[in-house]
Amino acid sequence: MEKFGKSQSVKRVEDIRFLTGHGRYVDDIAPDGALRAYVLRSTIAHGVIEALDVADARAADGVHMVLTLGDLEAAGVGVALQATVVTNRDGTKGAEPERPLLARDRVRFVGEPVAFIVADTLAQARDAAEMIELEIADLEAHVVVEPGGEMLHAEAPDNLAFDFGLGDEDAVTAALDTAAHVIKVPVDDNRVIVNSMEPRGCYAEPEGADRLHVSVNGQGVWGTRDKVAAMLGLDKAQVRATNPDVGGGFGMKAMDYPETLLTAYAARALGRAVAWMSDRSEAMQSDNAGRDLNSVATLGFDADHRLVAYRVDTIANMGAYNSEYAQPIQTELFSKVLPGVYDLQAVYMRTRGVYTNTTQVDAYRGAGRPEAIFVLERAMDAAAREMGVDPFELRRINFIRPDQFPYTSATGQPYDVGDFDRVLTRVMAEAKVAGFEERRDEAAARGKLRGLGLCYYIESILGDPAETARVDFEEDGRVAIYVGTQSNGQGHETVFAQFLADHTGIPADRIRVVQGDSDLIAKGGGTGGSRSVTVQNTATLATVAAMVEGFTAFLADAEGVPASDVGFDDERFRIAGSNLTPTMLEVADMARAAGRDDLLSVSKRTKLDNRSFPNGAHVAEVEIDPETGVVTVERYTVIDDFGNLINPMLAEGQVHGGVVQGLGQALTERVVYDEDGQLLTASFMDYGMPRADDVPMMYFDTEATPSLYNPMGMKGCGEAGTVGALAAVTNAVQDAVWSRGIREVQMPFTPHRVWQMLRQAAA
Amino acid sequence: MYEFEMTRPTTIADAAKALGDEDAQALGGGQTLIPTLKQRLAMPSALVSLGAIPEMKGVCMSDAGEVCVGGATPHAVVAAEATAYPGLAGLAAHIGDPAVRNRGTVGGSLANNDPSACYPAAALASGATIVTNTREIAADDYFQGMFSTALEDGEIITEVRFPVPEVSHYEKFVQPASRFALVGVMVAKFADGVRVAVTGASEDGVYRWTEAEAALSASFSADALADLAVSGDGMISDLHGSGDYRAHLVKVMTGRAVAKAA
Repeated sequence: MEKFGKSQSVKRVEDIRFLTGHGRYVDDIAPDGALRAYVLRSTIAHGVIEALDVADARAADGVHMVLTLGDLEAAGVGVALQATVVTNRDGTKGAEPERPLLARDRVRFVGEPVAFIVADTLAQARDAAEMIELEIADLEAHVVVEPGGEMLHAEAPDNLAFDFGLGDEDAVTAALDTAAHVIKVPVDDNRVIVNSMEPRGCYAEPEGADRLHVSVNGQGVWGTRDKVAAMLGLDKAQVRATNPDVGGGFGMKAMDYPETLLTAYAARALGRAVAWMSDRSEAMQSDNAGRDLNSVATLGFDADHRLVAYRVDTIANMGAYNSEYAQPIQTELFSKVLPGVYDLQAVYMRTRGVYTNTTQVDAYRGAGRPEAIFVLERAMDAAAREMGVDPFELRRINFIRPDQFPYTSATGQPYDVGDFDRVLTRVMAEAKVAGFEERRDEAAARGKLRGLGLCYYIESILGDPAETARVDFEEDGRVAIYVGTQSNGQGHETVFAQFLADHTGIPADRIRVVQGDSDLIAKGGGTGGSRSVTVQNTATLATVAAMVEGFTAFLADAEGVPASDVGFDDERFRIAGSNLTPTMLEVADMARAAGRDDLLSVSKRTKLDNRSFPNGAHVAEVEIDPETGVVTVERYTVIDDFGNLINPMLAEGQVHGGVVQGLGQALTERVVYDEDGQLLTASFMDYGMPRADDVPMMYFDTEATPSLYNPMGMKGCGEAGTVGALAAVTNAVQDAVWSRGIREVQMPFTPHRVWQMLRQAAA
Repeated sequence: MYEFEMTRPTTIADAAKALGDEDAQALGGGQTLIPTLKQRLAMPSALVSLGAIPEMKGVCMSDAGEVCVGGATPHAVVAAEATAYPGLAGLAAHIGDPAVRNRGTVGGSLANNDPSACYPAAALASGATIVTNTREIAADDYFQGMFSTALEDGEIITEVRFPVPEVSHYEKFVQPASRFALVGVMVAKFADGVRVAVTGASEDGVYRWTEAEAALSASFSADALADLAVSGDGMISDLHGSGDYRAHLVKVMTGRAVAKAA
């Protein structure tokens, strides 16, 4: 194996804690005696607040506080959540309507927070909420993902949040005009509700004389600390933000929410601990949703079926407000992988964001990149069918060839390495593509429609490229590594401890990983964008190098030899002409005895110049029961190029989870708002999460081309599974129903929708 | 959940007495009622648990050869012990998930008569007798529409007696999210004819598909259904399936139930 990747499938040490009920989730560790908060939410999708009277609620048993927007403003605290906006095609900025913590005069989606009640118990807070007089005069709800309709915000005429463009539109138009083949494909990317296993929650408590501790199940603590400080008019140093164990985030928990800030305010104002925990239906109504965009892809090919131009026009749902990072997702992040793995320079994308009377939409596993690849790979599949070319072959002839790397993509991404042909060849072998027709015939004999679908994806790793690692040798002989990333359940504790162990010889069970505390860690990037292992371990390597350098000089000094006579071999220091071979822990003890405490805490911050580009091929094989419309995934094969793997088992686990999220979106997860903006799928009675028996056993392996952009040669793997799954499954469904004359298929493939599609085709 | 009083009587008589109080509500396995309470959609002043009454639990055979199930018997027990009636045991074995099957009861399911529940199909297709603390009710008289039954206020299902068919099968097409029956069909072939009961589909709740019964009584094979048509009129239409879809599935599921009946 490569020098910096030991590639061991070490089992997750944190699982003992999680699986035996010893996880420390936010609701487990809320302080004894914490007051409980409850949010009164709008049950109307769009309307004007005509009356909001909280007097009875304030007087109710056990109630300590009832907040409305007016109360927050009277207290002089910040009331608006900020969001990043994009630049429009005409150079202006995307719309920036206010997103207040609690509704201001108007409600714009079902689930919007209207009032915040704090009481001794949750039941008392809920009782008080029922005493609040709230009268709302209905307005028309705008629910369809299109511009126009009843206006939500004066700042956004036609409900248009932005109109973003990227690429050379004239060149694309010219190329399409002269292309031998032009294929136009509508591609819908359905909305999903994220449904982390642990819903959102937080608590806040006064700490010391004039500080506030805010604990939230997030994806990083520093943004939360900064926002709480800004809202409450405190110095950042007065706020401590922590993330305890977190039961899944998927991007949804990367953003801050009104409830966290309201809880912080309440704890500060009341001088007492206050805790808030979302229930499941509340989560489904108020967590940032994912995806929800409709695109039309246009591909141009020359007579030899080589791509000459690609254009995508997208309308993306923002929901009722700008969430923190919503505008950049289907625009800037989408563009990162716009041309995928193909040798194609003429590309153009236009994305319009629209406001609707639905819950806000933001990052969801992959954030823009699954969406872009889904559109492209659906379009490639459709083009192959329309031109009568084998879908695998059409990809192959358009791949960027290995000898073209480094390759700057049409959207400016510096692809460093890749061997897409090798990956494709391997996946075809493992998926037994050659035997597919036989399996299709066998299925047909049983009355089933069988289909095969390919997605060749590429990912662009995102998130903060910089990270810090600090290693402390503690007096009890243990070692702590402080990291700026944040586990949401991926296994960081195992990986970071093992990596440090591999490079220092310190036994992994002597190492504890410290994360998620802004008092202990000054700066960090949290989890997101498949960044964690690459950026954190790069920082760890730099820290280890500094540790070795410091200990080397110390030993040289102690032994009276030149530093060049002291070496470290990942296990022990060796000194020329001496039998002394101390381990790093032993040298640390020597340093401590010598009063060299400066050697016992070492910190380095590193920044990667470039990110990595994991890529791979997913092949799905589905079967459809035409009598019922049920789609089952019979075979699923993944060959990924993740570069070098640090822990292959955890990498595969990430792929499994990602694929299942993709299968869920494609097959079972369907969000339905009615025309009045009521969310009809606000519980698991109606929202179909994928279950174990919806998922086949998967074949997974890798064909690695190590990245040149980080010392481990690795590529991120956290989002890749989701990126590949959507198009692989959809293309397989299209393949299965092609013989029935169906030329357009759109997710999600729920039994009813598939049955309707087949019936309409038969009519 | 609002506050309520809770009692756990140990005899049917005590339970009936406790249910005489205004706003008292019977609690079976709680698989519908508890979620309803948690959502604050119901506000009973008192819950009378039927789970501590020994005479309402268990599976046995009557002298007439019926499988008799105590009203407070959980699905898992029926699945394990109603071996004399494999179609019934199979139906019970596939209700919900293990947690539901260990809590939910046959009496609770029949008293609630959810249009998507499985047990109503078994009771109706079997021609079961619903035994209460005051009388016996034939299944054909018992079901009176969605969430509506012949039960009087405070009346308790103490036992259900299922005649055992020669062959039977319950075929369920699950709603993908809840995994309740989107359409469930119980086919039961007796010496004197076939009974077919359909759950999940109709706006009137569980019903007998009499055309299929006639066709299958003449010839017990899926082919016998070929010329029958099911109308989507009066079928439930929601985001999981239109009335037409449910009507279509009624025929498909009936055919599959016949093919699998043993």
